Amino acid sequence: MPDRPTAPELIEAVFEFLSGELLPTLDDHRMKFRTLVAMNALAIARRELEADTEWPSEEELCELARRIRAGDVDEDLHARLKEHVAAKLRISNPAYLEKYR
Amino acid sequence: MVAAAPWADELAAKLGQRIDSMHLLPGGASKEAWAVEAGGERLLVRRALGGVIHEGTLSLENEFRVLEAAVEAGVKVPRPVAYLGELGGREAFAMELVEGETIGRRIVRDPPAGLEIQLAEELAKIHAIPLERLPFLRSGDVIERFEDELDSVGEPRPAIEYGLWWLREHRPEPLADVVSHGDFRIGNVVVSKRGLEHILDWEFAHLSDPREDVAWPLVRAWRFGADERRLGGVGEVGPYLERYEERTGRTLSETELDWWEVFGNVKWAVGCLTQCRRHLTGLDRSVEYAVLGRMAAEMEYELLDLIQNA
Repeated sequence: MPDRPTAPELIEAVFEFLSGELLPTLDDHRMKFRTLVAMNALAIARRELEADTEWPSEEELCELARRIRAGDVDEDLHARLKEHVAAKLRISNPAYLEKYR
Repeated sequence: MVAAAPWADELAAKLGQRIDSMHLLPGGASKEAWAVEAGGERLLVRRALGGVIHEGTLSLENEFRVLEAAVEAGVKVPRPVAYLGELGGREAFAMELVEGETIGRRIVRDPPAGLEIQLAEELAKIHAIPLERLPFLRSGDVIERFEDELDSVGEPRPAIEYGLWWLREHRPEPLADVVSHGDFRIGNVVVSKRGLEHILDWEFAHLSDPREDVAWPLVRAWRFGADERRLGGVGEVGPYLERYEERTGRTLSETELDWWEVFGNVKWAVGCLTQCRRHLTGLDRSVEYAVLGRMAAEMEYELLDLIQNA
């Protein structure tokens, strides 16, 4: 394995630099916003690295997308898609899922 | 004051005014916006940049004509001042520089009373613009439009495909085309304590079923976190539809808008992906565009949830 810090730990270090050191020095509204967006991007990457989600392969997704476009939709597809999207959201924006509770 | 752009003299000649000051406003990847003071007037100069213009985005010349038509129709818009042709080799126009709040998150925190009514009134005026006044506006099948856009992204997105499939299966009887703003929502309007001041961002104007515009501000992403207020995080849909009916004679039901709300989520999910491509292809490198690729999943979840409850 590579040396410490691990990839998630490096991401965390940059995140903490942006939030703790850079952000408080910024006055420009736009730069603040862009820094928050950058922190969000880092948080997504970190959650993805730390998760042990099993993702469908690109071929599987392509095949599924092609079948739906052709109108080949079965009854349990909706539930499977919802679970797939929920898994993506647990990485990209876990708080978003709370809206649906 | 020193002029900041190399084409400032061209601008002065075209306006017939001395430029007292100018500065570039932040944001804007495909177009830049300059705040200009000339001849005692405060102007906003919108100028094209190099990037590829999206399918269906108006040229600045046509956007200017849409603004003129909107003024004629009595829509609250910044006053169009002049189409400028090319400035430094890129097309541009000047309009009145307006002030007020445009940030969605701040507007939904304390929306002025009656905003939902005022939105309906402006939309009714937009939808009354005669089609022949703007012969360059395009129409087309809404579902095909987003299938094509999704194909151009080239990324498999089964949940969006499912949304498109459901839309095809439940397609409503169409209403006759109207002049549609194309991006009518909180975030593209200027609001003050008095209420709605201006409708901005006309570059996606096209011809469509009026319900496309009517339902667009209902999409959850445009409620800016104030999810309990279905109309753009600022109000209820009932009074909005009532006033729209009063002014247009079109009776629309809240449930009738469900299809268009699913459509809106498909539209914005695909929009996120095409914006992300601007970053990924190197056209406009930006962390903001990059994260939009991961935000599309929010609209995917919402459209699946809406379909489940429809």
